[in-house]
Amino acid sequence: MSGQQSKTWDVAVVGAGMAGMSAALFAASRGLSVLHVGNGGGLLFASGLLDVLGVHPVAPGRVWDRPWDALAALGKDDPGHPLVRVGADAVRVAMERVMSELGDAGMPYAPAEGNRQVPTSLGTTKVTYGVPRSMVAGAQAFAEGLPTLLVDFRGLREFSACQVVQTMGDRWPGLRCARVEFPDSEALSELYAVHVATALESSATRERLFERVRPLLGDASAVGFPAVLGLSRSGQVHQAFEAALGMPVFEIPTMPTSVPGLRLKGALEAAVGAHGVSRRVQSVVTGIVFDGDVAQLTLHDAAGGQTAAARAVILATGRFVGKGLVADRRGVAEPILGLRVEQPEARDSWHSRRFLEPAGHPINRAGLVTDSVGRPLDAAGNPAWRRLYAVGSILGRQDWMRQKCGSGLSAGTAWAAVDAIAGDLGGPGPVAG
Amino acid sequence: MNYALFLGCKIPSKVPAYEVSTRAVLGRLGVVLHDLPFDCCGYPVRSLDRDASVVAAARNMALAARAGLDVLTPCKCCFGNLRHAQRLLDEDANLRERVAAALKAEGLDLPTSVRVEHLLPVLARGVGLEAVEAAVVAPRAGLRVAAHYGCHALRPSAVTRFDNPMAPTLFENLVRATGAQAVEWPRRLECCGEPLHEANPTLSDRIAQGKVADAREAGAQVLVTACPYCHMRFLSIQAGRPDALPMMLYPQLLGLAMGMTPRSLGLDA
Amino acid sequence: MADTVFHEGFFRIALWVSLALGGLGLLWRLVTWLTVRIGSDAREVSFGQRLWAAIGGGVGALFSRRLPGMMGAFFLDVLFQRRLFATSKLRWAGHLMILVGFTVLLVMHALAAWLSGKLFDNYYATLNPFLLLRNVFGAMAVIGVVLLALGRRRDWAFGRPARRPADGIFAALLAVVLVSGFLLEAQKIASPKAFYRMTDEFGLGTDAEELAGLRWVWKQDYGVAFTDLHGEPDADVLAEGRELNSQACVDCHARPQSAFVSYPMARAMAPVTATLDAANADRALLWLHVLACLLGIVVLPFTRFFHAVADPVSLVARGAAASGPLSLAGRVSRRALAADACIRCGLCDARCSVAPIARWLDNPELLPSRKVQATRRVAGRAWTRVGDGDADRLAQGAHLCTDCGRCTLRCPVGLDLADLWDAGRDDLAARGLPAPATWIQEQPAIAWAEALGTELGRVPPAGPLSADRRTFSACVQCQTCTNVCPVVAHGGTDADRVDLTPQKVMNLLRLGMVDLALGSRMVWDCATCYQCQENCPEGIRVTDVMLELRGAAWRQLGPVRDRRRPE
Ligand SMILES: Cc1cc2nc3c(=O)[nH]c(=O)nc-3n(C[C@H](O)[C@H](O)[C@H](O)COP(=O)(O)OP(=O)(O)OC[C@H]3O[C@@H](n4cnc5c(N)ncnc54)[C@H](O)[C@@H]3O)c2cc1C
Ligand code: SF4
Ligand code: SF4
Ligand code: SF4
Ligand code: SF4
Repeated sequence: MSGQQSKTWDVAVVGAGMAGMSAALFAASRGLSVLHVGNGGGLLFASGLLDVLGVHPVAPGRVWDRPWDALAALGKDDPGHPLVRVGADAVRVAMERVMSELGDAGMPYAPAEGNRQVPTSLGTTKVTYGVPRSMVAGAQAFAEGLPTLLVDFRGLREFSACQVVQTMGDRWPGLRCARVEFPDSEALSELYAVHVATALESSATRERLFERVRPLLGDASAVGFPAVLGLSRSGQVHQAFEAALGMPVFEIPTMPTSVPGLRLKGALEAAVGAHGVSRRVQSVVTGIVFDGDVAQLTLHDAAGGQTAAARAVILATGRFVGKGLVADRRGVAEPILGLRVEQPEARDSWHSRRFLEPAGHPINRAGLVTDSVGRPLDAAGNPAWRRLYAVGSILGRQDWMRQKCGSGLSAGTAWAAVDAIAGDLGGPGPVAG
Repeated sequence: MNYALFLGCKIPSKVPAYEVSTRAVLGRLGVVLHDLPFDCCGYPVRSLDRDASVVAAARNMALAARAGLDVLTPCKCCFGNLRHAQRLLDEDANLRERVAAALKAEGLDLPTSVRVEHLLPVLARGVGLEAVEAAVVAPRAGLRVAAHYGCHALRPSAVTRFDNPMAPTLFENLVRATGAQAVEWPRRLECCGEPLHEANPTLSDRIAQGKVADAREAGAQVLVTACPYCHMRFLSIQAGRPDALPMMLYPQLLGLAMGMTPRSLGLDA
Repeated sequence: MADTVFHEGFFRIALWVSLALGGLGLLWRLVTWLTVRIGSDAREVSFGQRLWAAIGGGVGALFSRRLPGMMGAFFLDVLFQRRLFATSKLRWAGHLMILVGFTVLLVMHALAAWLSGKLFDNYYATLNPFLLLRNVFGAMAVIGVVLLALGRRRDWAFGRPARRPADGIFAALLAVVLVSGFLLEAQKIASPKAFYRMTDEFGLGTDAEELAGLRWVWKQDYGVAFTDLHGEPDADVLAEGRELNSQACVDCHARPQSAFVSYPMARAMAPVTATLDAANADRALLWLHVLACLLGIVVLPFTRFFHAVADPVSLVARGAAASGPLSLAGRVSRRALAADACIRCGLCDARCSVAPIARWLDNPELLPSRKVQATRRVAGRAWTRVGDGDADRLAQGAHLCTDCGRCTLRCPVGLDLADLWDAGRDDLAARGLPAPATWIQEQPAIAWAEALGTELGRVPPAGPLSADRRTFSACVQCQTCTNVCPVVAHGGTDADRVDLTPQKVMNLLRLGMVDLALGSRMVWDCATCYQCQENCPEGIRVTDVMLELRGAAWRQLGPVRDRRRPE
């Protein structure tokens, strides 16, 4: 029906999490034509904080100030880890690219030197690498122990400023809390974070909020808010807050699904769209067959099935949550192509005896095995196809959740895969950027 | 290029300028439009009786099929509903049978291969952006335009295949083709509020006002639509307001850029 | 000097009585134009204001810029019937033939004593061209009726156009008038009795020889059915008869062959002419003819043929409206006039945008010609049955109209139907039948669930999507649908805000509590913007489900609705 079936794409990206989005972005900005299939909804669960490598080794839980040092250490202990395979340089460029694209799409990131400790709505801190500009002042204020006011809004259940003060107070003595009535919502008992964020994109609403916040500032030299300062133009909204309140302003990330998750998804979609990627948001790939030099993909969505052809395929379908891997009685499998999945021998060895095993469970490191350039192996142990690459969390031998390396893993492996494909298809080299 | 022009119910009675400007612009760009005895697209009845809506849509498409034409509609709700009907006929064999029987009684066949297109994709992809740009002789340089997408063409993308639903560029590209500048405004993909105009006018107004305010804050000098429903909504909530954001239908903007007179495009000025 | 039956006492009285009754009927109809209230704003204007507006409008129009418009409307729309011409040539021809046929018959024939008789000093009904012309116009009227009937049939969209009982009666009377008229003429042509009445009157019967000749002449040339003349006449007798005929008869009697309808009828009736004569059939036919005419005068104001009066007024009113907006009083009266002036021609039905939907739903009440009648009924006092299935069908008709305006464009009478539909919906709403979104939101979802009277979760599935658990089983309750929903976002107060969020609606379905979702405000306030569906991380068709729930609510909640009657 769409008349586009006859086209052969340079690359088909399957999956739209961090890995798939990065891959589509990288490929399109290298001039490749890209068909991108998958629902980016998983990104909604993200916090907007982009991890590269925060913890190594997992067992003692050592936290690193610089991810590159952590990566060097990882390389010695775990050479099979995908991050080690792609190397620090690729990860660094990939992250820079992702962050600058996000900035162009209205969600700017602070320049990243090393890892930061960002205060969260639970009163904990999270170690991470890429921090949205709207959140970075919180990490600084916490690090320097500045006198800081935390503001929350009546009716917004996701965030209680005083609860944060209660949990963090002993580590951050100058921290105070206050509650204000959000403009135009006096008659509402419950507020939805996303709606508050959208409302704050209007300067009139912001002005009214500033009037309520200014009298509460007192001796504070920084102000924190729940992460609701704008949705699609959070960068501008945040700037407007700092200008109006005359001091550093920061957001505190809230629990998923949160505004930053929606922002991240929106910004990545916008970036991908701006690069001319052809998106199939509500489609899934149900089959791929390789036909010589071309892969034939079968797509399914509410309007039925279609096929698409591509000269290279990037598989970024995630693990269990993303449905890139499925588990049944017989073990873990990759459902589209039946690729080889490295996994514990038997199901009862999936989890260690201790449920909260600090080192993680063997199953947390299950995933696809690849050759040295990232092509997944089939059951016989050979690359399944010359131009099939796997990226992101579907890869085995990593535990991104405990190692705090989700985004770095996704973007880094995507970068390497696109680089290899572009080289193979004879495209131009990476654009400096 | 030949199309059966599907105007739907609202354009002839409420937004005749849309028909005038669409015909004028497409005529100049070599798109030949044919008039068939179409009826309601089925959209208004969709929420009350899905099957009735599909029959109405199918009948129109069957008329086009009989004439050997594809359908072009300037209305986004008609466009969405005709495509929805195609989807439902594809997925529901029982419905397909009943609809086919109803059509047969009128001597019509179930339409299977009619393509339904909206005006904007026809311009951007059928005629092509380059051809549109080439036809522009009086670029609207410096004009800041907020392009309103309209829900029923954009979403659900799996059915409408209009553009990337998350980050569409089609309308902005067409605006730029006229030499104007497309402003970025956060709520560009949001609803205009028209479908709940009857059920809940207060809410509907609030949604529309929010959008207009957003477009204005983004610096827009004119709000451009490509759907009679959206157009009517924004006109009516701004009626009598001194700070009203001027409205235009896309073919009017394009027509001006192509050097046509305001009169020939149904513009009063 | 032309003769007329109305010199006879009985007919004279009957004429005046029927004229009086017809006049009263006419007056009554005219008064309803100023009293019938259609639309909620109709209450705002009084009879006096409406009368004043009508008079003012009429007089004002005569002395204003509107006059040219109204004159134009009169000539083009009333006389030439250009709107009918544009929509249906066949019916236009039929209409024109009836119009011309009847007008001429009325003037030349019915009113002969007052008009033709005075106009033409040689007027004799039995003389040409009058004899020929009467047949021509009579035949014209008959053909016109046939053409109209054919055209009407051809233009049927689905179901018959609306009609009233009086329409049938009047149509029957019309047939009686036409048929009895021709029969009467035929009988008079063939009747020996009529022949002798004339010869007696003019003293021609004295000479038997002459009379015999005249009878032969009238048998041969004029078709009188003498049963006692056989064989061939004697040439001399015949010559004598011709002599007499040319002296006494031809000045007043043309040869009846030019009555090209009645003459063949007379020939065909020859075998029974004598019997009919014996039964005084000519007298009976005359009675029938005249009484049918008079009865027609009485019923006319109550039939569709009243449009002969109403339509010119309506078209002229339309011409007036076209040159400037009408006052509220004027508009209200124009609505009443519209409801009255509709001739149930059904031309609007044939191109109504929702006609295919009407057919599928098997509900002709969607069609405009029916809706005009319904609007009138709903507005009138006679309406007491709001709340039954019939009312729901009317409401469906009113609310499924797309306001495409095609009916208004097509209507040959120039009725402002768009305004009538708006007003009709107002009236339905005031009588407890607003659009479904409105009546369903009048009570909370829980009340609807209780009204359904089922244990929670025991209602039939709303449709194919909601019947399939896979539709929503993947929902992880992530709240994304709620977050992106403009309807949730723009609820300014708790009271304004939707009762359930989209996410909660999905959860109710997951829990099998469809009944609680059906009447929820969320389902009915949904803008169908598809943001939720597009953004759902699990690919759930949230909006499609909402739409399906609406359809189900419409079907399932209607019957359990506590319908209210008009106060
Ligand atoms: C709750 C949560 C919080 C997180 N917080 C952070 C954080 O703070 N910092 C950080 O750096 N990272 C964080 N992450 C991790 C990060 O966002 C990514 O989840 C991780 O990098 C893995 O990404 P991925 O793209 O490989 O897989 P996923 O994100 O799981 O994406 C898989 C994609 O593939 C699609 N898919 C699967 N099968 C098919 C198919 N057959 N056809 C088409 N599409 C298919 C899915 O729809 C999905 O879009 C978080 C993740 C979660 C779940
Ligand atoms: S306005 Fe309503 S009644 Fe008239 S033709 Fe259109 S849909 Fe039919
Ligand atoms: S509304 Fe007009 S077109 Fe329709 S039946 Fe009545 S007179 Fe005819
Ligand atoms: S967005 Fe989808 S998964 Fe999330 S709550 Fe709504 S329906 Fe459920
Ligand atoms: S389709 Fe309805 S429920 Fe979904 S986001 Fe739009 S208004 Fe809300």
